[in-house]
Amino acid sequence: MILKRLLTAPALYAVAGALLAAGLLLAFLYAPTDTSSMGFSQKIFYYHAPIAECALLAFGIAFVAAILYLRSNDPKYDVLGMVAIRLGLLFSLLVMATGMIWGRAAWGVWWAWEPRLTTFLIVCLLYTAYFVLRQTVEEESRRATFAALFAIIAFVDVPITFFATRFMPAGLHPVVFGRGGGMPGSDLLAFFVSMIGMTLLLIAMLRQELAVEHLKEDLYHLKNRIGA
Amino acid sequence: MGGRQFVAILRKDLIRELRTKEMLISMFLFVMLAMVIFHYAFTVKESVDLTYFTGGMLWVTFIFAALLGLNRSFAQEKDENCLDGLLLCPVDRVTIFFAKMTGNLIFLAIIQAVAIPVFTVFFVKHGYYGRLPSFLLVVLLADLGICALGTLLATISMNTRARDLLLPIVFLPLIVPVLIAATSATTAIFSGGSEFGPLGAKLVFLAMFDIIFMVAAYGTYDFAIGE
Repeated sequence: MILKRLLTAPALYAVAGALLAAGLLLAFLYAPTDTSSMGFSQKIFYYHAPIAECALLAFGIAFVAAILYLRSNDPKYDVLGMVAIRLGLLFSLLVMATGMIWGRAAWGVWWAWEPRLTTFLIVCLLYTAYFVLRQTVEEESRRATFAALFAIIAFVDVPITFFATRFMPAGLHPVVFGRGGGMPGSDLLAFFVSMIGMTLLLIAMLRQELAVEHLKEDLYHLKNRIGA
Repeated sequence: MGGRQFVAILRKDLIRELRTKEMLISMFLFVMLAMVIFHYAFTVKESVDLTYFTGGMLWVTFIFAALLGLNRSFAQEKDENCLDGLLLCPVDRVTIFFAKMTGNLIFLAIIQAVAIPVFTVFFVKHGYYGRLPSFLLVVLLADLGICALGTLLATISMNTRARDLLLPIVFLPLIVPVLIAATSATTAIFSGGSEFGPLGAKLVFLAMFDIIFMVAAYGTYDFAIGE
């Protein structure tokens, strides 16, 4: 019972907010400033990487939901998949935004065709197409089936795309984006606090979106009953 | 999966196309027009060497030409309600997929057999004949990937309201890995340069892509083609 109350969206939001704030404080006050060429701009990493991992987590949830839908034909998995992809797309856009800010600070350019950033650009286009696909199918069960198929294909394609982006001629950007060598312990603490906070934020948003979708469905049925 | 059924569907597609030739002719014209347009788009100054651009030009052209073919290959089935007949036949859905994929592959290969010599005569300044076998392998592997993924997605988009409008939107972002690998491999072959990394890795990558999406299609085609 207590556990159930702790897992509601508002409670999750509160915990996520507290952890993200703590992560921010740790990143700026506790973790040492990066000694390589990144310098102070490396601080954005503590939000950038957790957002990226949450985006992939959301797409992973959609992938699992798609498989479950195809096995069971239960519409609840279709709704879960759609909501997860919507949030994954939102997080992907945030990855691009934070990545571009970081790129501007570290390399002096807003956009570099760097493998990870490029992959997220393609991911954004890919999962936007998911919603175009949904729009073009009227019949509900067929829409859910096609959406699930596309979610599966897309999720399989993402790591492949990431590998492929490495085939482009190297040497444009000498700076290795990301963690590079091992992080010292104080870095790791700030990173993990932000990571857990961001994941909880994703789960809270997922729960809220699901609740909204259920309300929409209830409203639809109520409207039908009064013949509106 | 039945071998005879596979041959029957493939034969039907080939005969139908060879009677009208509308798909082949439009794909061929498209490829030639694309070549002319690319020439003017990339010739930034006189006597510029377009060797380094040829790989990209070829694969962009082939992917769009494949899109034309993929759309046609299912539009015809849908327009005359042939697909319903095909689905009523006691044929495994996966057999339909592989027959359709092979048909698309053959049409794409016919177009390439004409386009590649023409493109390379016009644009490639270095001799690459010594590397011809590896180039043909790149073409074959990339074509398989394009046709496997393309046939699966064309089946889905054919069953939607937008039909031929939807296919490029879902197909292009998913085919990006093939485009990248095929382009960089082709450019490396044409230019004879090693700055594009080892060729073997790209071949293995393309082969992996083909296998992954053929397996994915094998597992999901029943859902894609509908009841």
